[in-house]
Amino acid sequence: MRYAEWCIAAPSLEADIAAAAMGLDDIGHSRVLYGSLRELGTPDGTDESGYANVPYLDKPWTDWAQFVAANAVLDSAFTLMIEALANGNVEVLRSRLKKMLQEERYHFLHGRSWMREAKAGDAIPRAWRESVAWIGPEGDDVDELRRAGQLAYGVRDLRRLLAERVGTTAPPDEIDWTKWDRVRRRTEPGGIDRETLDMLQGLAEKRYMPSA
Amino acid sequence: MAYSRVHAHVREYDVFARKARVEPLRQVGSVVAPDDDLAMAYARATYDEERWVEMMIVPRDAVIRLWAPGDSET
Repeated sequence: MRYAEWCIAAPSLEADIAAAAMGLDDIGHSRVLYGSLRELGTPDGTDESGYANVPYLDKPWTDWAQFVAANAVLDSAFTLMIEALANGNVEVLRSRLKKMLQEERYHFLHGRSWMREAKAGDAIPRAWRESVAWIGPEGDDVDELRRAGQLAYGVRDLRRLLAERVGTTAPPDEIDWTKWDRVRRRTEPGGIDRETLDMLQGLAEKRYMPSA
Repeated sequence: MAYSRVHAHVREYDVFARKARVEPLRQVGSVVAPDDDLAMAYARATYDEERWVEMMIVPRDAVIRLWAPGDSET
């Protein structure tokens, strides 16, 4: 959704098209992931509190640097988790997530190249912090799933691979894990802004419906 | 160069693709990007609407032209 908001606002026409294409890819990925969760017995979320997004996605991005940092760092963190699932021992995920990884390769190339071009500044450390929080603390659920073989990587692997991929390291400031929400995978309160939620739930489009 | 509106330095790349192994590669378009990474991302985003079995990009300045339309071949 945040990618799509930039499909007419990126610095070049090519980047507009890439933003739209990556947004469409990620909608497809969400559909596959939600379908897999349903098959694995997780009930659908029923209200907005069910959105477990990182704080980085709470509000629309106002600067291209924020897009670049999300594309290069956060998207890479999500991709590494998909890779860990695709190489784990859950058959549904092993068979379904491979195509996702092929598509995500181009998101990574896009993010890496723009990170070289754009001065992403403060956006990069923020994207890093939120990636680390999203992966979670050592010795918690991700490491348990790694021990059970459901994930191919543990927390330390994910952090190391992310640093290798992105070419930068996590900012030194520590995350306050006492505030960490295990389900929403973030330390900050809040959620997606009202306007975006209305769009996600199709409410924003209702105004175009003929009145009865 | 006409494409310097965003990036200081860019290269032009021609995009080639085919739908079946038996078909020859054909030029389907071109992209302009500052490096190979972004050129790959742009080519895939722009020209992926069809079911290609293969896609590749070539920097236009790597192509050696023997002759062009209107040139004498000998």
